[in-house]
Amino acid sequence: MTTVLFYILGFIMLTATLLCITRRNPVHAVIYLVAGFFALALMFYLLGAPLAAAWQIIVYAGAIMVLFLFIIMMLGLAPQETPEGPGWRRWGPLVLLSASLMVCTVLLIMQDPAAGKEIGDFYLAPQAVGESLFGRYVLAVEMVSFQLLFATIGAYLLGRPLSKGEGQ
Amino acid sequence: MNEMLISLALILVKLGLIFGVVLTMAAYLVLAERKILGRMQLRYGPNRIGPGGMIEPMCDVIKLITKEDFIPDRADKWVFLFAPGLTALTALLSFAVVPFAPPLTLFGREIPMVVCDLNIGLLYIFGLSSLAVYGVVLGGWASNSKYSLLGAMRGLAQLLSYELALGLALVPVVMSAKSFSLTEIVMAQSTWPNILQHPLAFIIFMISVTAESKRTPFDMPEAENEIVAGFHTEYSGMRLGLFFVGEYSNLIVIGAMTTVFFLGGWHGPFLPPVVWFIMKVLFVAFIFIWMRGSMPRPRYDQLMHFGWKVLIPLALLNVVVSGAIRIALN
Amino acid sequence: MISVYHYMSVAAILFAMSTYGVLTRRNAIVIFMCIELMLNSVNLTFISLSSHLQNIDGQIFVFFVMAVAAAEAAVGLALMIAFYRNRESIDVDNINMLKW
Repeated sequence: MTTVLFYILGFIMLTATLLCITRRNPVHAVIYLVAGFFALALMFYLLGAPLAAAWQIIVYAGAIMVLFLFIIMMLGLAPQETPEGPGWRRWGPLVLLSASLMVCTVLLIMQDPAAGKEIGDFYLAPQAVGESLFGRYVLAVEMVSFQLLFATIGAYLLGRPLSKGEGQ
Repeated sequence: MNEMLISLALILVKLGLIFGVVLTMAAYLVLAERKILGRMQLRYGPNRIGPGGMIEPMCDVIKLITKEDFIPDRADKWVFLFAPGLTALTALLSFAVVPFAPPLTLFGREIPMVVCDLNIGLLYIFGLSSLAVYGVVLGGWASNSKYSLLGAMRGLAQLLSYELALGLALVPVVMSAKSFSLTEIVMAQSTWPNILQHPLAFIIFMISVTAESKRTPFDMPEAENEIVAGFHTEYSGMRLGLFFVGEYSNLIVIGAMTTVFFLGGWHGPFLPPVVWFIMKVLFVAFIFIWMRGSMPRPRYDQLMHFGWKVLIPLALLNVVVSGAIRIALN
Repeated sequence: MISVYHYMSVAAILFAMSTYGVLTRRNAIVIFMCIELMLNSVNLTFISLSSHLQNIDGQIFVFFVMAVAAAEAAVGLALMIAFYRNRESIDVDNINMLKW
């Protein structure tokens, strides 16, 4: 059961990613990316991390990608006619580079003797994650929340309409 | 094996039951809305077909199905075709975690009256409501019309902003239930419903949930007198119908959410729990229809300012205060 | 049988694909999406190792990665708006003011 689910989800995710990085229209890319994030969230659930799966849906699919969509629509970039990316000769080496990176990583992972074991039944209840976050890691949580605050202020400053005499 | 088959069959029966009830309720909510609004505006509302207009919803469905399903020339075809389904789907999927009665014991088996009692049920509903924005945005974008695009962008910004307040308003509820599971949240309200414990959270929740549902005080994404019909301007036939299925099932989802989170779920004296649950859901739906009949629409920038400058700080303050009270009481 | 290296391989392939996307695309928003995808492949690694080692810390890290990704998306997209205001385009080939 887990095996079948893993292969289906992996297939969906990799196909969606492939389509996402090749689409010319950014809105289509966002749609495929969201589909991929869904498969990833289900994979998290499969790995016994329901809370991480929920975060994945709420934060990535529900907030970050929606923000991307908003910017794409606001800037009116959607129907992009110009051919994307340089020709074969220029991106051939990049394919080689990322493919070899991938092969190396996969080989390294498979070499590890401990990795051959079947992944165990591990299930982490949301309560445990919460206790750990607000117990042992509370300082880090505070720092991240400050970072979010700074990001909000930064985004506001960058995105505000220019006042008179500025930026000319 | 046998055990698994029985539980599978149970889940299917519950699913069928819920879908049937919700879709029928959605159809009759349209009728109820038209009738109540009619009465509020000193007219009768639909009353021609069937006793008191009871067959009206069926006629609406037949009309929508038989109409031409028109696709604009420059529309992005595939996105245009699947966007309405997304709206309906996210609304209907939310019911998977809503508990509508206490567990029932039948033939020595305990049957939970919920399709699937996820321990992250609240986050599941929250995630689905954050995905509901895609139906609106993609539908509006794919239509390739400026009114649709305007409606879609308004809808996107509005839904994204009010979701924050919605999530923050639910934090005190989770605090007092100590769980994300909807069943446990209802169990925790057996003596006091949350509306008495967290009145401010309830008010914030109601306001932001109205904005999430894109209904009248906050219906800028489809404001008729500004941008034709907003994101569904170009839709016709059953696809328009799907948007409405989504909207009215969403109304029931909101009713169920309010009931579960704040009104004590199935708890209530004398009557059986399911009856209490449905009554509370319908009461919340009635309040929404009432609001539609009596509230004017604010301006779009007023909506955003209110969301970011009033509602979210208030919700944060509410989280801090109710947390402090919990600590002080223990 | 699904072991941890199946999951890790998926993450590696995902990372390689998004690297390719970052290097070849010219639309800054799509490049940014590919960076998000990279963060996600790292998240998958964290979660699968957390499951493999029966340890909670992997999931905690995912929480922080997501918070950072959210902050990054907000600032990055604001930067793109600011850039679009100046150049009427977000093609990375046009971002060459600092090129010597």
